[in-house]
Amino acid sequence: MKWIPNFNSSNSLRVIFVIAVFILLFLSSIAYKHNQDLNESSKLAMHTYEINLQLERLMSAIKDAETGQRGYIITRNNRFLSPYLYSRDKVNASFVTLKKLTVDNAVQQKNLENLFKLIIQRFVSFENCLKYSDPKTYDKRKLDNHMFGGRILMENIRFQVDKMNDIERKYLKKRLEIYDQEISLSPVFSISLFLTALVFILLAYRQISRDFQRLKVFNKRLLISSGLMDESEIIGKFSTWQWDLDANKIDYSDNQFRLLGVPPNSFVPVKETFLDFVHSDDKQEVSKSMDAIIEKKNLPFIYYKIVRPNNEIRYFKSTGKLLTDQQGSKILLGINFDITDEHLLNIELQERNKELEKSNKELASFNHVASHDLQEPLRKIQTFISRVSEADKAVMSESGRDYISKIAVSAKRMRVLIDDLLLFSRTNTTKKEFIKSNLNELLQNAESELTEVIHEKKAIINASKLPKLEVIPYQIEQLFINLIGNSLKYNRAGVAPEISIESEKVVSTDYPDLLEQSVKKFYKITFRDNGMGFDPQFKETIFILFQRLHSKTDYPGTGIGLAICKKIVENHKGHILADSTQNVGSTFTVFLPE
Amino acid sequence: MQKNALNILLADDDEDDRLFFKDAFEEIKIQTKVQFVHDGMQLMDHLMDPENKLPDILFLDLNMPKKTGKECLIEIKKTDRLKNIIIAIYSTSSSEEDIEDTFVQGANIYIKKPSDFNTLKKIINEVVTVNWHYHTSGLNRDNFLLRLK
Amino acid sequence: MKLFIKFDINTICSLYLKQNLEEQNINFKTLGFGEIEIEDNLDVEALEALKENLAPRGFEVVENQKSVLVQKIKDAIIELVFLEDSNNYKSSVFLAEKLNHSYGYLSNVFSEVTYSSIENFIILQKIERAKQLIIINEMSLTEIAFLLNYSSVAHLSTQFKNTTGITPSAFQRIIKKRRENLK
Repeated sequence: MKWIPNFNSSNSLRVIFVIAVFILLFLSSIAYKHNQDLNESSKLAMHTYEINLQLERLMSAIKDAETGQRGYIITRNNRFLSPYLYSRDKVNASFVTLKKLTVDNAVQQKNLENLFKLIIQRFVSFENCLKYSDPKTYDKRKLDNHMFGGRILMENIRFQVDKMNDIERKYLKKRLEIYDQEISLSPVFSISLFLTALVFILLAYRQISRDFQRLKVFNKRLLISSGLMDESEIIGKFSTWQWDLDANKIDYSDNQFRLLGVPPNSFVPVKETFLDFVHSDDKQEVSKSMDAIIEKKNLPFIYYKIVRPNNEIRYFKSTGKLLTDQQGSKILLGINFDITDEHLLNIELQERNKELEKSNKELASFNHVASHDLQEPLRKIQTFISRVSEADKAVMSESGRDYISKIAVSAKRMRVLIDDLLLFSRTNTTKKEFIKSNLNELLQNAESELTEVIHEKKAIINASKLPKLEVIPYQIEQLFINLIGNSLKYNRAGVAPEISIESEKVVSTDYPDLLEQSVKKFYKITFRDNGMGFDPQFKETIFILFQRLHSKTDYPGTGIGLAICKKIVENHKGHILADSTQNVGSTFTVFLPE
Repeated sequence: MQKNALNILLADDDEDDRLFFKDAFEEIKIQTKVQFVHDGMQLMDHLMDPENKLPDILFLDLNMPKKTGKECLIEIKKTDRLKNIIIAIYSTSSSEEDIEDTFVQGANIYIKKPSDFNTLKKIINEVVTVNWHYHTSGLNRDNFLLRLK
Repeated sequence: MKLFIKFDINTICSLYLKQNLEEQNINFKTLGFGEIEIEDNLDVEALEALKENLAPRGFEVVENQKSVLVQKIKDAIIELVFLEDSNNYKSSVFLAEKLNHSYGYLSNVFSEVTYSSIENFIILQKIERAKQLIIINEMSLTEIAFLLNYSSVAHLSTQFKNTTGITPSAFQRIIKKRRENLK
């Protein structure tokens, strides 16, 4: 029913109720009135028929008198006189009654008077008849006259009575007509009102039953919620408590008891008994914050230890919040977490971390010092070899000269190895200072480092515009040097190396397996060359430390260069990929976060 | 070219390096007078002694006992009398950051100790030449930065 | 409060020289940077006295003709490099015209006296100017490259690195860090 205005449930119920009550009152007032009218009309009818009755009684009394009189006249037996005598009383009685009955009607009163007069006359006539029928005073003529007159009077009386009856009947009829009119409307009106009331009541019923359904549903949910809450407290190892600040009453959830190591509801929670559970180290702190709750109306996170009855120590974390409900009463809601497991795990982690850090530091210094300190003697070897002049060599034996040159070669190789190792250890250990750098500049620097080789091999390097990124400048420069250096080193025989470097922006979601998903955008920088390439089955192993695909006599190298590249790229939370087609070229793809 | 010989001072604890250095200087064309100290403390003592003439160029090894080259560098740059000496760091390989740091601390030149004698000769020749240019051509010493590998 | 004061060496030196000579009561006329003509003829003693007077401040009386020429070449080069519209001049032409000798002759004398070449010296001066401009920090590398007549920033960077061993950006970084250290 769309035309019903959209009140909320309790309002609409109230309205419906009020309307229904009004309707009922209205209806009952109508019914009452109806009743009254019916009463009135029946009274009226009674009245009329009462008058009628009395008038007929009157007539009958007079007729009795007449009959008695006639009987006496005929038989002269006294027994016939008694009705005549009684009738006088009856007439009087009736007359009195009639007078009362017609008291509201002036016309009828008049008629009654007239009737009375006639009746008196008749009685007079009776008397006369009796007198003149008495043998003592017998007069036939007068008797006949009075008898005759009496009959006429009777007729007049009859006529008057009829007249009076008519008037009463008309009167009654008129009143009844009025009532009829009034009454005829009421049923229709009443029924329609009744129906309306019924409709409203039905609506109310519908509303109530809907509300009831909803309540049932909510109730059910609440029960489930409550059950879930209990379960989650147990599983999550936390508990809740409520402290009604006004009534100073504390309620613990079941799990609160369990966390303290006692069965649920084993004691009445008060502040003091809780403190008994708190570890002596933290008692003061906890007590202070409990007092603070009342003051500050909230409880910030507090960490403390408790001791269970079985002397087990558990680590707790608690917090509380003040809630004011609709009536204005204040309830402090508290949550306790048993963080023992996490705490212990944390401690363990921290220890392991420390150990790892220490071990790392040692390794790093070992690396660094080893590489660094190895350089010194090596350098000396090389320098002294270079001091052996041509003149000195001239006086040596051939094998002597040969040995010297072999020493020089090995020394050189060792130097390269140490340099690369040193570089490798540095990519790890140097503090990672990220500076916003223009990669084009870094590329230029790298190219200028390799100027000689580029010039010697007549290499061509084409680079598209590279972005500005937050990087460790030296490391990226080294990355470029290594990658370009490789392309230069492993060129195809007789083919001048051509290297093209391109950059594009990509989203990490395109490479879910490769890239750190916590960073959204990456720059993909590709280094393509036209060198000899490598067997793509090695595209992952070439990044492994000391892995080489060629012997050191064919292509000098240490197997550290690409491992350094990988380390550098990892330092920047990026990724590096290699691919190649033999005798066509290789592609190295570097991903760096934006 | 110049009237007096250039005063060179080398602070290095390694005997062999001192030998190389001496030999190299003997073989270059420019007239120089080379002196040596063996460690950081000796260096500072030598410099602070008012009797001693201040060097035109100080070659400073970073890895020295008692007082490291870096400590000496900082100290020299803080001393009014000494802060205008041209300082060339003469050291074995260091990281890029360390090299940059020596420049920031006030070194003018950084030389990575070469492993070939001829290279050494070339390097010191260049150092002396460039230094002489700075000396004679009104170039700003504060901006004198040179790095040789 | 920190102020960066750029000073012109020429002005300072001329002023000082003037002061010093006036103190010694020597009448003179300045002919150009570094060149003065003394009215009177000084005898050997007086000349020595003058030299000794000037020496502690870094002034040297250059007697050798070739050295004089070399000094003039250097001055001319400095003028060229630090001139505002130096783009229009080819250095060899400029020097030959200014000093009235063939470029080849100038080149030889220079190498003989200094053991390095004019070209090297020019590069040295240009890089020196670039350093100054970088320190003042109001121009970008591109602008500096253009002002000093380099074909590109890359060219400037390459020459800078070849001369000093470090890149212009590294130089900038070092100067900046040095300044921060002084705070």
